[in-house]
Amino acid sequence: MTKTAMQMLVLLRETCDPKPPARLTADGYGVRERGLRRIANPADLCALEMAMQLADSNNGTVTVFAIGPDRLDDHLRLGLAMGAGRALRVWNPAFQGGDAVSEARLVEQIVNILEPDLFFTGSRLLDRGGDPAPALASANLGRPYVTSALAIACSDGEVEVLRKSDRGARQRVRAMMPCTLLFEADSCEPRYPDQDALIRSLDITIEVWDRPELGLCLSVLGAPGALLGKDKCSFPRVNPKRIVTPDANLPAFERILALLSGGIKPRQGNVHAVSTAQTVDMLYDIFEAEGLIGGGGA
Amino acid sequence: MMFQNLFSPQKLGKVEVKNRISFQPHLTNFAENCLPSERHMYYWGERAKGGAGLITTEEMSVHPTDTAYEKLVEAFHPEVIPGFRKITDYVHQYDTKMFCQLNHNGQQCDGSISRLPVWAPSPVPDILFRETPKAMEIEDIEEVCRFFAISAEHVRQGGFDGVELQFGHSSLARQFLSPLTNYRQDEFGGSLENRMRAPLMFIKAVRRAVGDDFTLGIRMCADEMIPGGLDLAQVQEICVLFEASGLIDFVDLSIATFYNLYLVEGSMHTPLGYTIPLAAGIREKIELPVFCTGRINDPVMAEKVLAAGQADMIGMCRALICDPFLPKKAEEGRLEDIRSCIACNQGCIGRMGVNRTLGCVQNPAVGLEKQWGEGTLRPAPVKKKVMVVGGGPGGMWAAKMAGRRGHDVTLYDRNEALGGQVLTAMKGAGRDEFGVIIRNEKEQVDKAGVKVELETEVTAEQLLKAGADTIIVATGSKPKAHPVGGADGAGVYNVWQVLDGQAELGEKICLIDYDGHHRATATAEFLADQGKNVHIICSSLFIGAELGPTQDLYLTRQRLLGKGVTFTPDIAVMEVSGDIGEKSVKGFNVYSNAWDEWGPYDNLVLAMGQEVDEDLYFALKGKVKELYRIGDCVAPRKVDMAIWEGHKVGREV
Repeated sequence: MTKTAMQMLVLLRETCDPKPPARLTADGYGVRERGLRRIANPADLCALEMAMQLADSNNGTVTVFAIGPDRLDDHLRLGLAMGAGRALRVWNPAFQGGDAVSEARLVEQIVNILEPDLFFTGSRLLDRGGDPAPALASANLGRPYVTSALAIACSDGEVEVLRKSDRGARQRVRAMMPCTLLFEADSCEPRYPDQDALIRSLDITIEVWDRPELGLCLSVLGAPGALLGKDKCSFPRVNPKRIVTPDANLPAFERILALLSGGIKPRQGNVHAVSTAQTVDMLYDIFEAEGLIGGGGA
Repeated sequence: MMFQNLFSPQKLGKVEVKNRISFQPHLTNFAENCLPSERHMYYWGERAKGGAGLITTEEMSVHPTDTAYEKLVEAFHPEVIPGFRKITDYVHQYDTKMFCQLNHNGQQCDGSISRLPVWAPSPVPDILFRETPKAMEIEDIEEVCRFFAISAEHVRQGGFDGVELQFGHSSLARQFLSPLTNYRQDEFGGSLENRMRAPLMFIKAVRRAVGDDFTLGIRMCADEMIPGGLDLAQVQEICVLFEASGLIDFVDLSIATFYNLYLVEGSMHTPLGYTIPLAAGIREKIELPVFCTGRINDPVMAEKVLAAGQADMIGMCRALICDPFLPKKAEEGRLEDIRSCIACNQGCIGRMGVNRTLGCVQNPAVGLEKQWGEGTLRPAPVKKKVMVVGGGPGGMWAAKMAGRRGHDVTLYDRNEALGGQVLTAMKGAGRDEFGVIIRNEKEQVDKAGVKVELETEVTAEQLLKAGADTIIVATGSKPKAHPVGGADGAGVYNVWQVLDGQAELGEKICLIDYDGHHRATATAEFLADQGKNVHIICSSLFIGAELGPTQDLYLTRQRLLGKGVTFTPDIAVMEVSGDIGEKSVKGFNVYSNAWDEWGPYDNLVLAMGQEVDEDLYFALKGKVKELYRIGDCVAPRKVDMAIWEGHKVGREV
């Protein structure tokens, strides 16, 4: 059977908006759910946009897929509204607790089943940075993959990709199809679906695949299939805020005086046991001395 | 949570500490027969109960030649292990990690205790002990290494989570590192590499003994602050090299030496957080977790230091001696309940300095946690009507404790605010933090349900009429009315009158100091700050004779000299005389017996002792069911005794 149109597959992943402050779970192994804002990974949406542009110019079809619980349907519907023809969600609670290796097995199997000409996704996740699963899946399948992609042109079973290189340099590389392309978040501006497209997306059924559709054994998925050890999270070490340290070239006596006149709080006047009225008067004097009240304007 | 950084976990080697508060090593004198005692267990256990993430024990000696003081635990004896076990089991039940500090004090030892020569890198006597040591031979260094290893094995068998080697202000290791104390010409002296050789041998020996899976850290002296000694730049280099050895897991810090002990244990006059610049300087250079210790007595400052990345762990020592439950209160946001340390150094360092057991002016339960610790206060079996007269620290504590036990308590004070003599004492130069004693307790008195009647001068008749079951008299003391001939003359004031602004003073003042404590020196400084020309005459060898143990003496003298105050010691003042502007002082030298006269002065200020205010007590004696008197109205002493007696009586009524 001859393929009539270029088939493209886009992986959409969920990330947490890193702007609200994150809290670690009590056991230190994860991030607390409460207060988190979940969004579609921006780099994945860029990858979808690139796939849509390629599909528009080459008469191709785009399938979006996500791995996760039913809340990811929102992201898939966004993909449908942007123009994808098919949406697929793959999930079984047993897939939880996996690592990049077991997730790569899932991606690998999905790509293996759908056999797309091009597999797109983002280069990095907004919250966790690099995700090795798509590249690992491609490597396992023997498909070439290009990271940090910015633009793509396609001709004669081959893609030419403009990609970011070191220190802001740009590089053009070519790869034979089928291949995998991992796009940067700033490679393009994802299209903004209109109201009609959003409403149309609600009528399209999202296919849900479970373990039987994938034909994979549970022992290689999720936590049992994980090879990487899990370690507790901790906040990164803060770089010291620069403060003046005693000059080693000064005589010891001068260093002592420097230290005793410094400290985080000045010694003088840090404790006052006075009445409320006196406190108000003292504060007034301080504010006036600091120029916060009174002065020229008064 | 209010303090996100302070209550985040921290890894120290293989150990994870639940928060960043470390109860730092310090002497306690609780050891019995050079072994850890039950008192140690309850003392450290109370701080674990209070929420400290890490506790490091006081220094434990590693060798018989290391005898800095008599009640030192000797970790090289296997007999310490059962005691260690009891302590670590007790502490671990509160999810607190516990490290043991090992040390050899080198030249900073007293050979008269061990009856052995003191060992050091070179025969340089320590400024405090003044004993010329034996320069260690290579065999001696190797023996200390072996003993470090033996002691470390005992630490591990004792159930500790880690070991800290003392390379700080009082240690043989620092003496090897410092050009000030290491004059050796062999492979252990001279270049930095050579000076680091012996300390590295100690570290290696301990690492070999405890294994790779046991946390091992060092406590470094960040800056010796003495000419010719180690400075921050050199210590940064040393820390980088120790880190590069890969043998240690953290760097705890101290400062100074016995040449400048007032920096090791900064008193009220040193700024809060005075060592932060040094910790930040070390942390800039190394990746290992760094501790910062030194007058960080509140969680807000601790959080700031962590948030600014100036340290990874906050060492709190006196802050947790004073309030073992500071971490828990901070975590729960109960900041108003924290009893802040004021660094008066009287109960802790002051008592240690004269070889007594550890105490705290504001926390009478220190060292008596078994009897008086958290959870030991029982409700009173019979509710009584208790009246406390005198709202100084003693009266406040008595009222608070009685109130907590469920009694119906009323506290009377003749002044417009609680605090008693503290309100006056805190007006002395640099003594304002002394007032925190009152601020700490005011809230607690209210919370205990005590009714406070201010500006109320109660008489014996009123109290008897009110029908109290128990009366506690805490009326304090006042300056002696006639301490010396002529003291009732014009232009003669006592220190309280000066500090309270009741004295009309000229420019030239003579202060007669029989006190030797802050009462005199802080008043002299108070006057000097006002531009007065102050001369002090005292009976002791030097002014501020009582300020040595609390580490206040050096800086007090430095400040007074800087402000132009002059001194005449050794004088027994017998008479003061003259009119205002022509006051004179007559006395004799206690050694030569030569009489002399000083003057003329505009005014004289006397710090010549207190007398009890006991009238109310004797008016009530024999007429009340239960009558107690506490604090200065028993005998004029210092604030620690007033609080101690107030606490005790409040528990017992």
